[in-house]
Amino acid sequence: MPDSARPDVRRTIEAVWKLESARIVGGLARLVHDVGLAEELAQDALVAALEQWPAAGVPDNPGAWLTTVARRRAVDHIRRAQTATAQTATAQTAAAGTLALEEEQDDVLRLLFVCCHPALERDARIALTLRLVAGLANAEIARAFLVDEPRVARRIAAAKQILAAEGAGFTRPGTASTAGRLSSVLEVLYLIFNEGYSATAGEDLIRADLCREALRLGRMLAELVPGEAEVHGLVALMELQASRAAARIGPTGELVLLHEQNRGRWDRLLIRRGFAALLRARETSSPPGPYVLQAAIAVCHAQAPTAEATDWHRIAKLYDALVRLLPTPVVQLNRAVAIGMAYGPEFGLTEADALQSIPALRDYYLLPAVRGDLLSRLGRPAAARREFERALLLTQNRAEQEFLHRRATEMAGQNKSPAAADAAAAVDAEAAATAETLGEAAAAFLAKGGLDPATLRSYRQTFTRLRRALGDSLLIDELTADVVATVCTTAWGSAAPRTWNRHRATIRSFGVWCGRPEIATELIRRAEKASPPGGGLPAAGLSGADLTAPWADSRHPLRERVFWLLLHESAAPVSTVLALNVEDLDLDDRRARVGGRWVTWRAATARLVPDLIAGRASGPLFLTARRPAPDAPADRCPHTGRARLSYERAEYLFKRATGHTLKQLRTAAR
Amino acid sequence: MRFLMMQKPTDTAPDEKLFAEMAAFVEELTAAGVLLATGGLESGGIRMSSQGDEITVTDGPFAEAKEAAAGFALIEVGSKEEAIELGRRFRKIVGDGESTIQQVFG
Repeated sequence: MPDSARPDVRRTIEAVWKLESARIVGGLARLVHDVGLAEELAQDALVAALEQWPAAGVPDNPGAWLTTVARRRAVDHIRRAQTATAQTATAQTAAAGTLALEEEQDDVLRLLFVCCHPALERDARIALTLRLVAGLANAEIARAFLVDEPRVARRIAAAKQILAAEGAGFTRPGTASTAGRLSSVLEVLYLIFNEGYSATAGEDLIRADLCREALRLGRMLAELVPGEAEVHGLVALMELQASRAAARIGPTGELVLLHEQNRGRWDRLLIRRGFAALLRARETSSPPGPYVLQAAIAVCHAQAPTAEATDWHRIAKLYDALVRLLPTPVVQLNRAVAIGMAYGPEFGLTEADALQSIPALRDYYLLPAVRGDLLSRLGRPAAARREFERALLLTQNRAEQEFLHRRATEMAGQNKSPAAADAAAAVDAEAAATAETLGEAAAAFLAKGGLDPATLRSYRQTFTRLRRALGDSLLIDELTADVVATVCTTAWGSAAPRTWNRHRATIRSFGVWCGRPEIATELIRRAEKASPPGGGLPAAGLSGADLTAPWADSRHPLRERVFWLLLHESAAPVSTVLALNVEDLDLDDRRARVGGRWVTWRAATARLVPDLIAGRASGPLFLTARRPAPDAPADRCPHTGRARLSYERAEYLFKRATGHTLKQLRTAAR
Repeated sequence: MRFLMMQKPTDTAPDEKLFAEMAAFVEELTAAGVLLATGGLESGGIRMSSQGDEITVTDGPFAEAKEAAAGFALIEVGSKEEAIELGRRFRKIVGDGESTIQQVFG
């Protein structure tokens, strides 16, 4: 913003912008059918305000002023771009005056839907929502998410391009996809909220402000779609969590657990609002969804006058229902906690132990933290301490680290105090005094010398994983073949045989070195396939470690993974692979004839292709979400009406995912 | 940040039109997601004071009723300027008169 604007006027403009941007951008997007352009036009109006208001004074109705100026620019733009009569008519009606409240609200809702378009990645949805709907500047988004500003700007520009490429325009999704899109909007709002909620006292206030923004957008959405139970459920959940914001941070910035919080510091106003929102959700008489259930759980906590009075039986039942709808590892872990509280720590520990082989929870600090808590309640401080120390290694959050450190130290104290130690603890303590720990043994093993750098690097990887999974203070004597096998299978079970065997070899030589060769007995050597001549990555054209089998990363969409893998395995030209039709594929012989040549692939592609075909009998193999031009029937899927994936789009997606070009991928395959 | 907007009583009795406009304003604040609570206040009310051990309870009305509040809105916004902007819209609806905006701490 220009420096000429006096600070107070400038701040007024910013305030007006925050309150009005969603309505202004939404209204413009309806006119120009492109949110990116709509936002630029709105920004033009903002610049005009910054130039004019300091001298002319703030207008009587600043919001209306911005809207009028922005609309005028939109009309100019439409006239310049198009002379078609229909467009001019739109322009005239657009210029003509004010809109009904319902229309404005519809604009805001559509804007939210477009910002959470499925073609966008999660981070892009978040950034776009904060910028276009919440009216945050790039700098604010960057500060809130601890990234630099150019990165946010790039992310937003890329998101706008994708929306334009997808032809997202500014249409409301059809009834069939509305539900899916609404859940995407709710997810984005909750992610924004949680980002703010995890901010600690020492951090930039803007981070904590994210909670307020998410709540504001949620309350707004609840008025836009009052019949949607899950929207009210999410609002209820956020209100109730926000009600505990002040109580969950202690005087020195440390994290205070729910059951240790001073309930007098809970914000009764927000609690009441949470209750009211949940009642509104129930009034819709839809079956409870994930947000409603989570809000209901939050209500149980809010209703309990003391931690001891919490109705854990009810909470455990709600988690039973939630885990059926949302069987995520984190929900399963919370369910284990609830069961531990309702029926006793031994039951909770059984549930938590069952989660240890879930890969997604491998590096999740709360799993060892929860196990530590359950173990400490079972009177096993040494084992508990180990779990807290493991958890400590897995979190970056300062407040959480301090909390875990405190718990680990408490456990160590209990260990030494004979009064506190029961039989199990005494055994633990005795062992601790004599035996070597995993952390010490691993360090000694790596330092033993005679290892070349490559081997050392490979050994380190194995030990990092073992130590993270088991904790540094685990005694070597307690290391069993079963435990080692569980860790390895969770970590590398689905990795290439060569990777598996490498880690297996490390553990075998470590076992021999520390006199416990039996720890590797459960690890079975896997057969390695002979690598194809000259095949495999990295190779010529690629800069080594930058590109390691992007198709193996299941975070990428299936279409991209199959496409990359097929390019890699077939070494066929990009355009040939894109030209493949479903009816050309010979799945049994793993080949297809296209444009007079054979394209052949191997097992990895063959495994994934059926999922991509998904029952289609003909038409392009690789599709976009768009419809094709009417004059290109060969590029149209007869089942879905969608268009063939273009070279440009495929190139863009690959570049974005890996930083490389498709040509490099193909050359590498040879 | 939270702000308490308080409206002082005016000489003219509120009419139907004002009530309708106020309702629309409250609806707008709710739709914008910034309104936490709102309400009207009885004029006068009860006044309590204490001196030493003695607590005095006095029923209204009071002579200096003009200084009391007639209604309030508790809002949650990102800055003082946003609160002022909302206050500006409110003043436009209610016409001549006075209100205060104070930040709420804690």
